[in-house]
Amino acid sequence: MERAVGPGLEVGGGGGALRRSVRPPGPGGAAAGSRQPSVETLDSPTGSHVEWCKQLIAATISSQISGSVPSESISRDYKVYKRPDVREVQDGHNGYHSEGEADQALRGGNKLAQMEEAPLFPGESVKVIAKDVMYICPFMGAVSGTLTVTDFKMYFKNVERDPHFVLDVPLGVISRVEKIGVQSHGDNSCGIEIVCKDMRNVRFAYKQEEQSRLEIFENLVTQAFPLSNGLPLFAFSYKEKFPVNGWKVYDPMAEYKRQGLPNESWKISKINSTYELCDTYPAVLVVPTSVKDEDLSKVAAFRAKGRIPVLSWIHPESQATITRCSQPLVGPNDKRCKEDEKYLQTIMDANAQSHKLIIFDARQNSAAVTNKEKVGGYESESAYPNAELIFLEIHNIHVIRESLRKLKEIVYPAIDEARWLSNVDSTHWLEYIRMLLAGAVRIADRIESGKTSVVVHCSDGWDRTAQLTSLAMLMLDSYYRTIKGFEVLIEKEWISFGHRFAMRVGHGDGDHADADRSPIFLQFLDCVWQMTKQFPAAFEFNELFLITILDHLYSCLFGTFLNNCEQERLKEIPIHQNLKELLAIKAELQRKVEELQREAATRSISSSSDRGSSPSHSATPVRTSV
Amino acid sequence: MLSGSKNSFDIPQRPGGPALRGPKSSEVKDKRNRNCLAFTCIPGEHVLEEAAHVKRIVRSRDGEESMVGTLFCTNLRVVFVPQPAPRDAVGAPGCSACLHVVALPCIERLVAVNSFTKAKVLTASSTLKFIPEELILYCRDFRVLRFRFHDSGWEPRAFQVTQAIVQAQEGGGGSVAMWYGSATLRNRENTWLSKEESALPPMLLFEETSDWEKELRRLGAVGWRVSPANERFDMATSLPKYLWVPSRLLDNELKRAFAHFNARRIPRMCWHHPGGSDLLRAAGFHADSDPEKEDVRSVEALLFAGHTQCVIVEMADDLPSPAEIQLSALKLRALCLPDSSVADEKWLSALEGTHWLDHVRACVRKASEVAALLAERSCSVVLQESEDRDLNCLLASLVQILSDSHARTQSGFQSLLQKEWVVAGHPFQQRLNLFRDSDREESPVFLLFLDCTWQLLQQFPASFEFTETYLVALHDSSYVPFFSTFLFNCQWERDRRNQHRASNQLYALVNGWWEPPPLEILSKGGCLVKKGGGPCLPHIWDWALCYTTQQRAQFRNPAYARHCSSTVVPNGSSAPLGGDKPDPALSGSGSVYLLAKGSLLLQTHLFPWENGSLSRKPWRRTQSSESLGEQERSLRCKPSSCPLQPEGLLRPAFVGPLIQFWRRCYLRGSQEVQHGLLASTRAEIAEELDLLRQRLAADPE
Repeated sequence: MERAVGPGLEVGGGGGALRRSVRPPGPGGAAAGSRQPSVETLDSPTGSHVEWCKQLIAATISSQISGSVPSESISRDYKVYKRPDVREVQDGHNGYHSEGEADQALRGGNKLAQMEEAPLFPGESVKVIAKDVMYICPFMGAVSGTLTVTDFKMYFKNVERDPHFVLDVPLGVISRVEKIGVQSHGDNSCGIEIVCKDMRNVRFAYKQEEQSRLEIFENLVTQAFPLSNGLPLFAFSYKEKFPVNGWKVYDPMAEYKRQGLPNESWKISKINSTYELCDTYPAVLVVPTSVKDEDLSKVAAFRAKGRIPVLSWIHPESQATITRCSQPLVGPNDKRCKEDEKYLQTIMDANAQSHKLIIFDARQNSAAVTNKEKVGGYESESAYPNAELIFLEIHNIHVIRESLRKLKEIVYPAIDEARWLSNVDSTHWLEYIRMLLAGAVRIADRIESGKTSVVVHCSDGWDRTAQLTSLAMLMLDSYYRTIKGFEVLIEKEWISFGHRFAMRVGHGDGDHADADRSPIFLQFLDCVWQMTKQFPAAFEFNELFLITILDHLYSCLFGTFLNNCEQERLKEIPIHQNLKELLAIKAELQRKVEELQREAATRSISSSSDRGSSPSHSATPVRTSV
Repeated sequence: MLSGSKNSFDIPQRPGGPALRGPKSSEVKDKRNRNCLAFTCIPGEHVLEEAAHVKRIVRSRDGEESMVGTLFCTNLRVVFVPQPAPRDAVGAPGCSACLHVVALPCIERLVAVNSFTKAKVLTASSTLKFIPEELILYCRDFRVLRFRFHDSGWEPRAFQVTQAIVQAQEGGGGSVAMWYGSATLRNRENTWLSKEESALPPMLLFEETSDWEKELRRLGAVGWRVSPANERFDMATSLPKYLWVPSRLLDNELKRAFAHFNARRIPRMCWHHPGGSDLLRAAGFHADSDPEKEDVRSVEALLFAGHTQCVIVEMADDLPSPAEIQLSALKLRALCLPDSSVADEKWLSALEGTHWLDHVRACVRKASEVAALLAERSCSVVLQESEDRDLNCLLASLVQILSDSHARTQSGFQSLLQKEWVVAGHPFQQRLNLFRDSDREESPVFLLFLDCTWQLLQQFPASFEFTETYLVALHDSSYVPFFSTFLFNCQWERDRRNQHRASNQLYALVNGWWEPPPLEILSKGGCLVKKGGGPCLPHIWDWALCYTTQQRAQFRNPAYARHCSSTVVPNGSSAPLGGDKPDPALSGSGSVYLLAKGSLLLQTHLFPWENGSLSRKPWRRTQSSESLGEQERSLRCKPSSCPLQPEGLLRPAFVGPLIQFWRRCYLRGSQEVQHGLLASTRAEIAEELDLLRQRLAADPE
């Protein structure tokens, strides 16, 4: 069982989120196909940023190596970094390329421009191409090249360097775009700063007078925030064909069957098949057998947003259950609901091992009281005599958002190494991670050791509740620690139960200051990462898998994370391709690659340069054959 | 004379006191121990007190767990024998890795707890006024052992054993001499225990001239020779017997230099880069020595070592002093106690406040700069520290670990430790302060070095033959005075003690409870002793003495990718930079730089003596200020030219988040944190891989 004590949390290498920030967006999911987004290739650095860059490279390599298993991308990184052009290092003066080099780019003319064209996905179209744009890299100074903006990504390439310098950023990751003044870098008198949701900032500089360059800014803003401009997200125009339909990775009936449901106490209910009982819940719900449908409606009326207690997980032996819901609408007048009280009693009775029911309210006690003064509230002891109410004192989405903002400040673009640890402390990010893990441990402990059923809720039951139930399930059930199982877990506890991805991430929306945005899912993945660090052998997937999921949380390439709930998704035109299947393929490839990598590592690595490009050809699924 | 020792051995001479009980009772006890329990007294050791039905409290992930057993206090150790004894504890009496054994000098603090009184720190002078319910041992190697006494009818035992431990720890921690006396026979005993594999690993101890010759050949350092100038320790007592000095410098010229360095520790070579550079180490200049012209020439010849450029790396500049290291370590130790009062959410800030990681970072950074310097140009790099016995040891070894893949093998690493720490005269006895000689001199410089090495291990997991477990074992061993390696301040003391021992054999007594070991062991043990009257106390490098085969298997890093050749020039075609080509006109004198804050500064005054400023000849034309700027820059730029060499040079990162906290070592007092950190997982993966590979080989399709 997890134990969330202070020093036990990973501190040295930073949390998962931190780790991410010190690595340049490497070839994140290179194994998935030749055209993965966010590939930024660093080539030989020059001049005054050298020290910085050197550290960064080392950071990249070591942060990736320091995972328990080396991943394929490492060797790819090696290959890139291993071929430094020493001459260039010596020639470079202060980190900035001379104007002579820009001239050369002009002289190169069309041929060069062709080489700097962006590769496109099926269905992707180029919106604007601008030559002679300077990318101001925080690590290696300015690089000039061609910037292409499509309806999916911005793509910057410089072919004069060896290897070519490429920056490939999906527009979905953009949080805001701003014009900035750039101090006379020769002709480059105008610049844009792109703030990303994945803790990066990207800066470009260009000549102001030329018309095409003005278009960059406008196109970026339009394409990055399609929903604010009446355009569809790119996922709807993405035409790639995949051999597997990823929407079918999660089949609720199959998952409940795996858990041994229905049984004598629990039934699979279709009451919400039209989303009338609760519009943010999935169509398929598991509720106690004995509860009548009309009672369910009354319970729904008593719970915020109609999110009634439903089963998330059942212990295969003790029959203790995790149920999730939203807060009861008690209000200042201590309203009661007979059906709700009876309903919770039924949940308790379904587990013969215990005569108690634990209600975990994720919120801070004070916040719950404040809620009660309005319409919400919490279960009182008098109304629910057999229930024990425990507040987990977890902070709300605004606190978490603020914490991540501070975290970004201390890691980007530079780290103050002398004050690094106290700075991390001051963001409270790890503290909040610890509280979440500690809460999940308590839930899992009640189920496993106490054989007692638990009910988990917060206010609406779609943020903290999803974090807690999915973490507890991850601790309790090894199935969720496989790649397929983890996908199912996310599909089930997050997507189908209505974590408001669209709102929390703000897909395609220009309002970067929207108070509904919050890195709740990122925080969850960080918790998972912490667990993988503590139990390296318990998980089938690794850090890279988690980061890939995060990349596509923002990329808007697939439909998986685009909506707020199941109903919303079904109302829209079905998105024909999605993340999961790609993830499934990628995960499979990744795993094979890893096996080989590990094998190679012990065998002493040599001449394996072609492995990265075509892992599918060379790999046998080693592990599965055992 | 020595053969007489076959049947003789001695008892430590203990002047009365409560610690010494009658031989009769200890004999009885000892016998019973052997019969009933898996606890074997090592010769020279006798049980002072014991208590049965003691619970050792182990905080685990599932809350508090305990194991029941018997707690012994002997004149050397505190031993807890669980019932039934775990298998690995059997037959490993000297086992320091075994978590149930603590050598008395390793105990930092004893605390007795009773529910009616406050926790009380026990010292020999303070009398124990209550019957303890719980006894907590805070160890200097970061362990914390908690024992809870059974409460019905066993109270007197609890009282007695606690009292005995207190007395033994205070008085019996004793001195080097006492440990030394009792340890002679242990050597034989241990030899017997590990008879299959007691041979030393193929490493160099640097006690004989042949080892120095051998290593010089491996490095391919032409132009250098082994000088026996200090063979009788008459030039400098703290230096090793043999020194690597430039071939063209004769011993009588060499001897002119000694007087002009602190503690007569002259510059001498530690490592030779295949590209031509040399790494040297030296103490600070002796300011009042008033050298003659000839002397200055010798000193210059030593510093330049045939190069035209000499870079002085001043340790005091960017690195912490031993006192600062000690201060940090004390804070770190307090923070890592399981009952540390620091709140979880302030823990990182508190860690930062210890500055321990800053010290680690400073060392790694400096070593990385020096290693880069050695790889880039042909020069001599002289590590200079006032006494040349602390951070010089640390940095010289760290630079070699970064530069030389041989130093990353276990035998290479051990040879390195022998060369740069043990025979080079790191004052282990003072720094570890195992016998409480003087708290002022205490400073865990060696631990800081192990931490730096651990950082590299984290960053380059495939470059080291050994594991974290090995480093922890090394750290543990430094607090167990069973070995000569970490017991003395320099080789001279070590050698002297050995000679002393040899003559003492005559006075050895025969004691009733000693069972003569089998004949073959005797001959083997006798052999060991006979061999030139050499060291009687074992080196720690014979890991089989203390660690079981399984434990030693965990020293091996399964991810290690052995590099076929260690003599590859790390920088590929690293021809010396243009200005560095040995110019015959310049030989004999050249330019001196100081490496500070990551850049090179040209020095005009190197020596503190009036007539000793470097002979600046007018024809020193090469170093215009412009070209100096060039070189300064190239020092900064160059490291990026090869971010990572698969073999040879390692370039570690040292930005904030990448210098990590060594949990496995520092947090061993709180066991719940130790979770998922065991090297065995890696070893298991390796095993599984082997299996898979076999299956793949068996079935090609």
